[in-house]
Amino acid sequence: MTEDKQLQDELALYGVHLTLLEQVYNWGRSNSLWPLQFGLACCAIEMIASVTARYDLGRFGSEIFRPSPRQADLMIVSGTVTKKMAPQVVRLYNQMAEPKYVLAMGACAISGGPFKGGYNVVKGIDRYIPVDIFVPGCPPRPEALLNGIIHLQETIRRQKLSGPGKARHADRDQPSEYAIPEEGGRDLVPQYNAETWRPSWQGGGK
Amino acid sequence: MERMASHYRKSGGRWLGSGILRGMGVTLKNWIGSYFDPSRLVTVCYPGERLPLPENSRSFPFLIYDGDDPEAGLRCVACRICEKECPPECIHIENERDENGKPRKRPAVFDIDISVCMSCQICVEVCPFDAIEMDQIYAISTNARFEPLRLHKEQLLKPNEYFRELSPTRSAAADARREAERAKQAKKKEAGKKG
Repeated sequence: MTEDKQLQDELALYGVHLTLLEQVYNWGRSNSLWPLQFGLACCAIEMIASVTARYDLGRFGSEIFRPSPRQADLMIVSGTVTKKMAPQVVRLYNQMAEPKYVLAMGACAISGGPFKGGYNVVKGIDRYIPVDIFVPGCPPRPEALLNGIIHLQETIRRQKLSGPGKARHADRDQPSEYAIPEEGGRDLVPQYNAETWRPSWQGGGK
Repeated sequence: MERMASHYRKSGGRWLGSGILRGMGVTLKNWIGSYFDPSRLVTVCYPGERLPLPENSRSFPFLIYDGDDPEAGLRCVACRICEKECPPECIHIENERDENGKPRKRPAVFDIDISVCMSCQICVEVCPFDAIEMDQIYAISTNARFEPLRLHKEQLLKPNEYFRELSPTRSAAADARREAERAKQAKKKEAGKKG
């Protein structure tokens, strides 16, 4: 009964607050998203600007950029992921503790952007790790990043911890680590992570 | 004491940690000052209030139409110059075709993949019809990478009034250009009739 959101809101007007452990858990999680402190290119400058007093990411509980992946919840992939950097990005993702989220910021992190035809740039970090939120722009304004984080918080608050359609981190069958790509002469090996991404000729790209 | 004095001399007259204290002083000054001077509260609380954008600020392109009907007033003639000039190749255009398969001067498909777009404004500069302009929307975030970030013709079409509001200077220049072009065409037609 308490899962009925409309009824809950209605009761809250009369001062009756019903909640589930799940909702308390999600509320706490969504309001303390600590990002991992790393930047890859010019989008990182906008990410830094979004922590300054003018935009103040701290209002959403994300002001503490952790320098260690063990303490971080959110990976903001801010910038061009080169093929030299991609193994390190996947390794950092693997080292993060569950529950973990990825936000791809800017054209390069989403699709390779202007470098997508180049020989040395990964055409979107979603080829290797599952991305939760995409923020387009070149680079996105700090407000756009804030908007992305608000969107992520809303996504987290809707997540289920049990039953069908439960969150990725609550599902034991879902892996939390992925194969780290290696330099293999022509391209990275593997070229993409088959568990989360498929090329368009195999029904992906939708 | 002597060591401290030598450190003082070597560091150019600054004590160890004096920089931190000076920084804390600035913070303290701003904190106390914020009770008396509202301009010291610099945070713009984003979802509620937004910074005014400068007129030339730009994010992604959009298509302009004249009048009320998006289909009738569409300025784009599907000449594909923007598609060819776009450095990251994020524009996709397909001509409308009549029953014989002959292409018409209208786009049937006009897609812009904003997950690739680098906001360079080259499409705007090369467009001979002032049909494409830069928008200022930035609050976009999606859960999926492909379809929601590919803007179709219906999403891209916006009226000229929207552009006038967005950028008075640029839209005035574009309107003047179009008016001059129209006058030139009318004159040519008249000359052709006389001849």
